[in-house]
Amino acid sequence: MRDGGVVLGGRTIWRNATFAVEPGTITAVLGPNASGKSTLLNLILGLVPLSEGSLRVFGEAPHRGNRRVGYMAQSRAADTTSTMTGRDYVGLGFDGPRFGWGRDKGKREVLRRALALTGTTSFCDQPLHSLSGGQRQRIALAHATVFSPELLLLDEPLAALDLAAQAEIVDLINLIRDTTGAAVVVVAHDLNPLASIVNQVLWIARRQVRSGSVDEVVNESVLSELYGHPIEIIVTPRGRRVIVGLEEEFAHPHPHPHPQGPTHAEEAHHHLREVYEEETS
Amino acid sequence: MSLSDLLSTSFVQHAFYAVTAVALAAGAVGYFVVLRHQAFAAHAIGHVGFAGAAGAVLIGFSPIVGLLVFCLGAGLLIGIGGASLDESDTVVGVTLTAALGLGVLFISLYSGYANATYSILFGQILGVTWDDVGLVAALSLGVLLVVSLSYRPLLFASVDAQSAAARGLSIRAMSLLFMALLAITTVVAIQIVGVLLVFSLLVAPAAAAEVLTSRPLRATGLAMAIALGSAWAGLFFGVWIGGPVSFWITALAASSYLGARLFDRNRVRHVRRALA
Repeated sequence: MRDGGVVLGGRTIWRNATFAVEPGTITAVLGPNASGKSTLLNLILGLVPLSEGSLRVFGEAPHRGNRRVGYMAQSRAADTTSTMTGRDYVGLGFDGPRFGWGRDKGKREVLRRALALTGTTSFCDQPLHSLSGGQRQRIALAHATVFSPELLLLDEPLAALDLAAQAEIVDLINLIRDTTGAAVVVVAHDLNPLASIVNQVLWIARRQVRSGSVDEVVNESVLSELYGHPIEIIVTPRGRRVIVGLEEEFAHPHPHPHPQGPTHAEEAHHHLREVYEEETS
Repeated sequence: MSLSDLLSTSFVQHAFYAVTAVALAAGAVGYFVVLRHQAFAAHAIGHVGFAGAAGAVLIGFSPIVGLLVFCLGAGLLIGIGGASLDESDTVVGVTLTAALGLGVLFISLYSGYANATYSILFGQILGVTWDDVGLVAALSLGVLLVVSLSYRPLLFASVDAQSAAARGLSIRAMSLLFMALLAITTVVAIQIVGVLLVFSLLVAPAAAAEVLTSRPLRATGLAMAIALGSAWAGLFFGVWIGGPVSFWITALAASSYLGARLFDRNRVRHVRRALA
C-alpha cells in the first residue's frame, strides 16, 4: 500500500498508510478497538474501496473472491448457531463459493491435509458448538488455509482465548507460515502473545498508521508521537512489553463497550498483574 | 366406501402428488430456514400471502397468483432490508403487519369470502385440482433444482457470511435468492396446510433433522424425509380416520421435532450430567 487512506460514511478511518507485506512473513496489526484494523483487512479483500493512495494485492487491484487470499473472520455464525461439524465447515472453505452439483475429486485429500496441518483431525467430526474456543480457532484456520492461499488475513484469532490456547494458536500460525510460505497478517489487540513470531507491526491509532519492525514501531518515541502524549513501555525480563499511557485509549473505544464485562483498563490492569506474578514467581 | 376406494379417488390422488412435491421442497428449504434462524421470516411470508390471496380473489384472480406476487414481494423486501440478518426481525415485523392490515381490508371489501378465507388460513389439500397439482409440482421441483445447484454457496453464506463475502459471494444476492426460494415454497405449502400452519412443514421437520445429525447434507435429506413422512401419513390419516389433513400433518411434524429432542443423545447426556 502506498499513501493509502479510507473514508467510510464521511468519516476518515485512517490516512497516509504505506507498507508492504512480504511472502513468508507475519505482520501484526495493532491498535485500539474501532481504529480501523479490520477495515485494513476488508480493503485487501476488496470489500471496502480505498479512498486515496494505491493498494496492490499480488500486483492487482484488490478484488473479492481472490483465490490467493485466505481470510478468517472474527466471529462466525457457524460456531454457535449450527450443529455443523468442523469437517463440513473446513470443506466450505474449499468449495463453498462454488455453484453446481459437481464434487471435486481432490477435495478429500486437500481436506485431510488441512486438518492434519492444523491438528484438528481428532475432533473435526464433532459439531462446532461443542468444541472449545481454541479448537474452533484451529478449525477456522483450517477453513482459511484449505485452498492454499498465499496471503492469509486473520481477524483477532486470539480474542476470547485463555493464555494457553493463545500460545497454541500462535504456534499454529507460525507453523502454517513455515509450511505454506504464505504471508500472514494478524489483527490483534495485544502484541505480547505474537511478539516471538512477528516480523512487522502496523500500529493504527488516531487515524494514522505506523509500520515497521517491532522495535521500530513499538517504542516510546513513535507511540508518544502517534498518540500526542507521553507513552512509556516497560519491558519485562522475558521481553514482554507493558505499554503505559494508553489506558484511556483502550478504556473508551465505544460508548458502551461491555455493559457487564470489565473495561479495557481493568483488563489491562489484570493482564499486567498476571505478567508480573508469573515472572516474579 | 372402503379405505382403498377412498385412496383411489381422484381428489386423494391429486392430494398425494401435491403433498409429495411440497414436502420435499419444504424440507430442503426448511433446513436453511432453521440454519439461518429465519423462522420468523417464514412465518411472516405466509401471513403476507394471506393478503395476496385475499386481494387476488377480490379482483377476480386465482388465489395462488396473489400468493405468488405477495409472497415473492415480501421475500424480496425482507431479503433487501434484512440482508445483514441483524435488522431482519424489525423489517420482517413491519412487512408482516402491513400485509395483514391489507388482508383485513381486502376481506372487508369482499363479502362472499368466508369459505376461501378458511381454506387459505388452514389449507384445503383435498380440494386441489389437477391444474393446481401441475403448478405446485412445477414450482416445488424448481425450488429443489435451485437449492441443489446453489447448496454450497447458500450454506456458506448462512454459516459464515463474512468469509463468504471475502470469497466473492454476494451476501445480499444469496439472501435474496434464499428469500425467493422461501417465498415460493411458502406459496406451495399454503396449498396444503394453509397460512397459519405453514410452519409445520417448513420448520418442524428441519428442526428435528438438525437435532439428529450434524452433517448438513444428511440433515437436509432427513428434513425432506420427515416432511414427506408427515405429509403422507397426515394425508392417509385424514382420509382413513377423518379430521383435517392439515391437522394431521401439523401434529405429526411437531411430534417428530418433539421426538428428536427427546432422543437427542447429547441432550440426554447433558441432562444426566446436570442431575448427577
